[in-house]
Amino acid sequence: MKEQQFSTEESLQLIGEMIGKAKRSYVSKGIASIVWGVLIIFCSIVTWGQIEFKIDIGFDIWLLLLLALLPQVYFAVKEKRGKKFIGHDEETMHYVWISFTVCIFITSFYNSRWGGESSTTLIMMLYGIPTFITGGIFKFKPMIIGGMTCWVISIFSIYTPFKTDMLLMAACGLFAWLIPGIILWKRYKKQQQVHV
Amino acid sequence: MFKDLDPILHSQLRLAVISLLISVKEAEFTFLKEKTNSTAGNLSVQINKLKDAGYIEVVKQFKDNYPQTVCKISAKGIEAFEVYVNALKSYMNPGGE
Repeated sequence: MKEQQFSTEESLQLIGEMIGKAKRSYVSKGIASIVWGVLIIFCSIVTWGQIEFKIDIGFDIWLLLLLALLPQVYFAVKEKRGKKFIGHDEETMHYVWISFTVCIFITSFYNSRWGGESSTTLIMMLYGIPTFITGGIFKFKPMIIGGMTCWVISIFSIYTPFKTDMLLMAACGLFAWLIPGIILWKRYKKQQQVHV
Repeated sequence: MFKDLDPILHSQLRLAVISLLISVKEAEFTFLKEKTNSTAGNLSVQINKLKDAGYIEVVKQFKDNYPQTVCKISAKGIEAFEVYVNALKSYMNPGGE
């Protein structure tokens, strides 16, 4: 591109083209979403299996979520270092997801202290909040639907026993993170192919 | 009556840079170069013109021991861009005002 004078039509076309290019640069690989989704589904189903088949694996499977935070933070830092721009909404999203993580861990500590099986409804309700906000801000329908699905499921869980709640939580992991994550990953791969 | 188009913005590369910067919070020089398909020399000159006009802020720093130039649109730049777009609209739709 050279510096040259041009018509008003060309100006508007250029503005639209550049804004479009910047917008298309917001590409998430969806890895964090996939990892989180798989973990929630795995932990939920293991917990359900322990109750259903009356077995004890000897440790709290949900501790895996704590372990998963380490690679999540590593990949987030790595991705940030490789980025050539910062979007307007990224800072907002960081605060939303930090708030969510803090709330989830406070709720988990509350559960371990008081044995609150009924708080699964609350946890699923919390799952919906950052997912819905992320989907709304980035106009990404699968996450909007995923967030709303978590809320519908959380209402349903008010009337179900803890064992069933674990299956419902697996469904939350599927709709809120795994499916949107896979869609993001596919989009990323498709875009990579276009640029090759 | 037609509004005058800002001569600083009414130039292909400078307008491209401002349009990119209005879409993000901040961007590296390499990002702007890649998206505008411009040469480093030309882009550097145009960025300096935008900086001198007060439309963008430029920060030169080091990242992993390599020099890095980060550009960010200023409040004055946002205002100038809005005025420019409105002026373009008035050209496109003269009876609209």
